[in-house]
Amino acid sequence: MWPGGPVLICAILVLAGCDGPQSVLAPGGEDAFVLANLFWFLLAGAVVLWCAMNGLMFYVTRINPRELSERGAQALILWGGIAFPTVVLAGLLFYALSIMPEQRAEGDGGLRVEVTGEQWWWRVAYWPEGADEPIISANEVRLPAGSRSEITLEADKVIHSFWVPSLGGKSDMIPGRTNRMSLAPTVPGLYRGQCAEYCGESHAKMAFTAEVLTPEDFAAWLDAEAGPAVPPDTALAREGRAAFFAEGCGACHAIRGTPAHGRVGPDLTHLASRATLAAGTLPMTGEALARWITAPESVKPGALMPGYDHLPPERIAAMAAYLEGLE
Amino acid sequence: MARPGVEDGPEDRSLWHMIFAPTVWAVHFAVCYAVQAIWCAKIGGDIATLRVVLVAITIVALAIISFFGFRAWQRWDYFHDRDYIHGGETDEDRREFLGHTGFMLACLSFVAVLYVAMPFLIIGSCI
Repeated sequence: MWPGGPVLICAILVLAGCDGPQSVLAPGGEDAFVLANLFWFLLAGAVVLWCAMNGLMFYVTRINPRELSERGAQALILWGGIAFPTVVLAGLLFYALSIMPEQRAEGDGGLRVEVTGEQWWWRVAYWPEGADEPIISANEVRLPAGSRSEITLEADKVIHSFWVPSLGGKSDMIPGRTNRMSLAPTVPGLYRGQCAEYCGESHAKMAFTAEVLTPEDFAAWLDAEAGPAVPPDTALAREGRAAFFAEGCGACHAIRGTPAHGRVGPDLTHLASRATLAAGTLPMTGEALARWITAPESVKPGALMPGYDHLPPERIAAMAAYLEGLE
Repeated sequence: MARPGVEDGPEDRSLWHMIFAPTVWAVHFAVCYAVQAIWCAKIGGDIATLRVVLVAITIVALAIISFFGFRAWQRWDYFHDRDYIHGGETDEDRREFLGHTGFMLACLSFVAVLYVAMPFLIIGSCI
């Protein structure tokens, strides 16, 4: 085998990790483009410096090894070791600082999304321009492409951090404080966000989908999201609905248009329209729903929702069928 | 070699004079931080004036650092004997060591204060 083969294969495998829905290097928004450019600019500079330093090292030790005069050595330290890095670092600092105001620009699309970090899920409230009350959702953030939306960040009990690498930088969510940031997505698509500050046992499983829609699609979706739940109308789903209320699920979860008004857990009004279940941990399928209801802790260690493994599987399957129909 | 006709004064023996420039750097950092925080929390809004205030504080800090850097440079007395190493147990070695170190710390502090000040010129708002 060609000796460079393994290196090439490793490089391809590593580079394959640069793509995907949660990559800083696959930007889908204005802020992420700026950050990706910053990375490439710094990488290029680092490569040039690395080559220059090692080239110099090679030159003075292999090509032209000779003693340097004391004056020459002092000049090398003064110019190469102090003046040059000072100027280069000043340039880099200026460049990095100059992109910061843009990253904190105010929203221009009229939409504000309020995200609260919970253990271990995301409470999401959409405030369209002029709204008196928010449209509540959870574990999914949808944004319109082509405009900058305000994001306000809060936390319930511990510090979390809101980060959608493909759309922009990250910001901490701190209990008792309201932080703000803004995102200006440009490329419609499905991205992945992840809690980026250790927040307890299931920190790694605290993710969410971030979906960027065209402005028209977004407006249509938000209209639908604002409406009450449309319950599925099958015998199994009706049975599941009865079981949902009989087991007291509505004490923690809200489903608009039903007597379920709980605010402890995620809002389930349009649960089935989300791409994932349990904050980006499971696919949105009937099977996954049944597994989650039976034993949440087996999926997310430390999850506060109690398990319902004492119920017969048919009853859980019926509840799953009801929830799976809440589009 | 001693400087002809110049006796060592107290500041030629003072560690405090050696670290004066970094102290100015630290104070400048803390003052800028506090002024900015109070301005944004209590006064708000007028970033242009805040920027002028911070730039003025920075110019004062740079002037003080330059002054003490120059005094340290004189104490090092480099052009007189081009001494780079001051390991002896003499007054002159002590003075030149403190001057040499103080001068380099002043250079570092000057650059550091410039770096600390750079965000003021760029950041456009309190948020």
